[in-house]
Amino acid sequence: MAAELIESIVKILFIFGVNVGFFSPILGWVERKQSAIMQDRVGANRADVFGFRLIGLFHPIADAIKVLTKEDFVPDGADKLFHTLAPFISLTPAIITFAVIPFGGHYEIFGHSVNLVIADLDVGMLFIFAFGSLATFGAVLAGWASNNNWSFLGGLRAAAQMLSYEVAMGLTIIGVIMVFGTLKLTEIGAMQENFFRWGIFLQPIGFILFFTCAIAENKRAPFDMAEAESELIAGYFTEYSGLKFVMFWMGEFLEIVTIAGVLTTLFFGAWHLPFVTDQMLLSFFSFAGPNGSNILAMLVNVGTFYAKLIFFIWLQMTIRWTLPRFRYDQVMRLGWKMILPISLINIFITGIIVLLVK
Amino acid sequence: MADIDIKNNFSNVGIPLAKLKPLKVRKNINLTLWEKLYVFEIARGLAVTVRHFFVHLFGFVFPPKGQKRSIITVYYPEEKVTPPPAYRGRPVLIMRENGLEKCVACGLCEKICPAFAIRILPGERDNGERYPVSFTLDMSRCVYCGYCEEVCPKEAIIMSPEYEGLAVTDRRNLIYSKEKLLRSEESQKERIDYIRRIYSRCNQ
Amino acid sequence: MADLAKDLHTEHMVMNMGPSHPVTHGTVKFMVTLDGETIVDLKTNIGYLHRGFEKMCENGTWEQVMPYTDRLNYVSPLINNVGYALAVEKLIDIDVPDRCKYIRVIASELARISDHYTNIAAGGLELGAFTAFLYFVEARELVWDLIEMLTGGRVTSNYVRIGGLKNDIPDGFKEKTQDVFRRCRELWTDIHKLLTKNRIFIDRVRGVGTMPPDEAIAYGFTGPCLRASGVLYDVRKAHPYLVYDLMDFDIPIGENGDNFDRYLVRMEEINQSMRIVEQALEKMPKGPINVDMPQYRWQAKNDVYNKIESLIFHFKTVTEGIKPPPGEIYLAVEGGNGELGFYLVSDGSGKPYKCRVRPPCFPLTAAMPRMVKGGFLADIIPTFDMINMIGGECDR
Repeated sequence: MAAELIESIVKILFIFGVNVGFFSPILGWVERKQSAIMQDRVGANRADVFGFRLIGLFHPIADAIKVLTKEDFVPDGADKLFHTLAPFISLTPAIITFAVIPFGGHYEIFGHSVNLVIADLDVGMLFIFAFGSLATFGAVLAGWASNNNWSFLGGLRAAAQMLSYEVAMGLTIIGVIMVFGTLKLTEIGAMQENFFRWGIFLQPIGFILFFTCAIAENKRAPFDMAEAESELIAGYFTEYSGLKFVMFWMGEFLEIVTIAGVLTTLFFGAWHLPFVTDQMLLSFFSFAGPNGSNILAMLVNVGTFYAKLIFFIWLQMTIRWTLPRFRYDQVMRLGWKMILPISLINIFITGIIVLLVK
Repeated sequence: MADIDIKNNFSNVGIPLAKLKPLKVRKNINLTLWEKLYVFEIARGLAVTVRHFFVHLFGFVFPPKGQKRSIITVYYPEEKVTPPPAYRGRPVLIMRENGLEKCVACGLCEKICPAFAIRILPGERDNGERYPVSFTLDMSRCVYCGYCEEVCPKEAIIMSPEYEGLAVTDRRNLIYSKEKLLRSEESQKERIDYIRRIYSRCNQ
Repeated sequence: MADLAKDLHTEHMVMNMGPSHPVTHGTVKFMVTLDGETIVDLKTNIGYLHRGFEKMCENGTWEQVMPYTDRLNYVSPLINNVGYALAVEKLIDIDVPDRCKYIRVIASELARISDHYTNIAAGGLELGAFTAFLYFVEARELVWDLIEMLTGGRVTSNYVRIGGLKNDIPDGFKEKTQDVFRRCRELWTDIHKLLTKNRIFIDRVRGVGTMPPDEAIAYGFTGPCLRASGVLYDVRKAHPYLVYDLMDFDIPIGENGDNFDRYLVRMEEINQSMRIVEQALEKMPKGPINVDMPQYRWQAKNDVYNKIESLIFHFKTVTEGIKPPPGEIYLAVEGGNGELGFYLVSDGSGKPYKCRVRPPCFPLTAAMPRMVKGGFLADIIPTFDMINMIGGECDR
């Protein structure tokens, strides 16, 4: 009992620390530097500590200091409670949804079975959808509560977009669930041990559709008309500054990480190296004894998972900086008239194939 | 529908068609199926930016020949851009060997300046030389057009290649007096050679 | 749907896309009346950048006006210089030497290339494609390097003089042009791959901001927007000035007059301008670049020091200004946006009596309500971008 408690606390601290403490600031740096290198320029590289520049890695710290010392205001005539509440509602689901994503498999360490996921729910996938849809409230409340026409328009657009794409997102996943037969994310991960059983080979159309819907959920380009910088100044968070503004951004970055995690788990083999089964890995490290081999295999698997995660984060950043923005009615048309029918066809075809194979 | 009157061979603004050489830009109006599915063209666009990404990422470690890095950005305070010889920077006054200015206060630069930035008060020295008692150039009005250099009959005011140091905290510091504008002839040698070359080729 | 809307008791929202808004580059105010996201009415307010160009011209001499014309269309300043100088020369009725004409053509086309780069880059930026913006800004920097090598200033060039030019082409200009154009063509291909067939971009700009050709002519459109509507009119071909009749180039025209056609026409015009510059560099003859008339154009410094006539006229033209014979003239050149016209009235003294500019983007901005009514709020952005309204030119 105590061992399980310690294990849970260690896992929670690890994930929380890595996500909020490491990925959030680093993604700010990655966004600046990656977009800069893609655009033939150098990003921010001036913040230094005692003369050490370190290619701009101190800029997130400088940002944090700047943000914490800004004035925190609520605009005149705005609804004070909801104005303050909206960033929190936007940020919390982004942190929580990572709880069900497995970042490693089962290992036997010191006689104790360690399962590298914080909450191994039977309905893992539905948990992600349920909490993901709570983020809609944050955007809508932010748009409504600021006493500003532009924010209002941004909030309306955000509401419509996120609702439509949640429906589409749910339907695209059904194909994956049919193929793997379970909603439990650890089982889906374990079933992808064989390289040719990876989700990308079994459900290629589902991958593209789910990726699109996930980016639309996250309100990043090319679907960022809710915060379109050139049309609506800053959309639904025009009237925010300081820590609350940063909370919106952190929520966006953490959702990028979550989406990357979900994509890796469902489609790209979770924590497995290609063409390497668990048994091969354990026997490779057998020189360190049973406990040591498990620990080393755990490290290799966690490293693989994070490498794939970083690849998907990079891919989402590249897509953000390349593509122009959709218009509002085109986003709706894409969601309802193109993605929904294609996902239904996908379910139909998958169902037929599963029936024939089994 | 392009307004071309084929029968009379004129376009609708009365210009013979053979003179204009039209080139239709849109070959096919409707999107092909390849373009209608978003994914393939988006993948092509992504290939362009990903290529730029990797070329510049490795350009930090393996720069192309002769350059420090493959990105064209100049890291400003550490590396500076050398402007070409034609560059018009800040106007400066040239001094002779004995430290006095070459300017004879003829007033041509004051008359030609389009921003009315120069004010000259002429005077005469004991040996009969004409000189400017006060020569003020208001840097907050100067537009760096180069007219003063062009009309000066004595090569006394030229546009130096300097472009830094104009950010001040008090606007009165921007009114440059004669002392602040003086430079020696060797320090501005390049610009003086250049203007001698170009202003001698004017009508030959 | 209409009777449902009547029952709902909704009211139209009036939004103010004010002078300082990220998309109205050029300080223009739009008062947009919205019904949800559909535009019911649009009112344009210009004049936020009015600096009194025409009044300033009456206070200075004919030569002093030249730096003021730099600041009219500040993304293609050389074209303004050329237009003004040509107008005054026609008033005086002098003809510049051939070499000067070729160099003026090169300068005009380089300015036109940088104008189109700026416009398409801003269009990409407003629509969300940041990378497209920065690629063309890099290309524009390289073209500005060329202009800086030639004139001494990147944007405020002040290069053309009445009766000639300020200085001749520097050494090494032709090789540098070839290098720069090679890199610019690579970047052009990158943008072509990023934007032209991208369905997201096409959906934003196709069918949006349409202008049929007869209405375009009625409003007074000229330039790339008129050619996108399908009307073949280019001042360089219709009333050739300088040496454009000796150059071999095509004129791109569009079909529908929507924003996609304007974008394609501008992209193609960049290629044609590069062709013109390369031809002009090949064919340029040797010779003088200024007319040999000291009463209108300052002479070389050797002459000023040695010949009495040059010295006298140097001082007279600086202090009193050159004196064209009394009369009036209108002359138009092809600017980046269309027909840029100068109407000059001279009364025989050294200062212009009247100097009026016909801005090409004034009728384009006036047609904004016609183009976006009935569309969405998000349609204002590509339409206003592709018009290329430059504040300095529209408000003078």
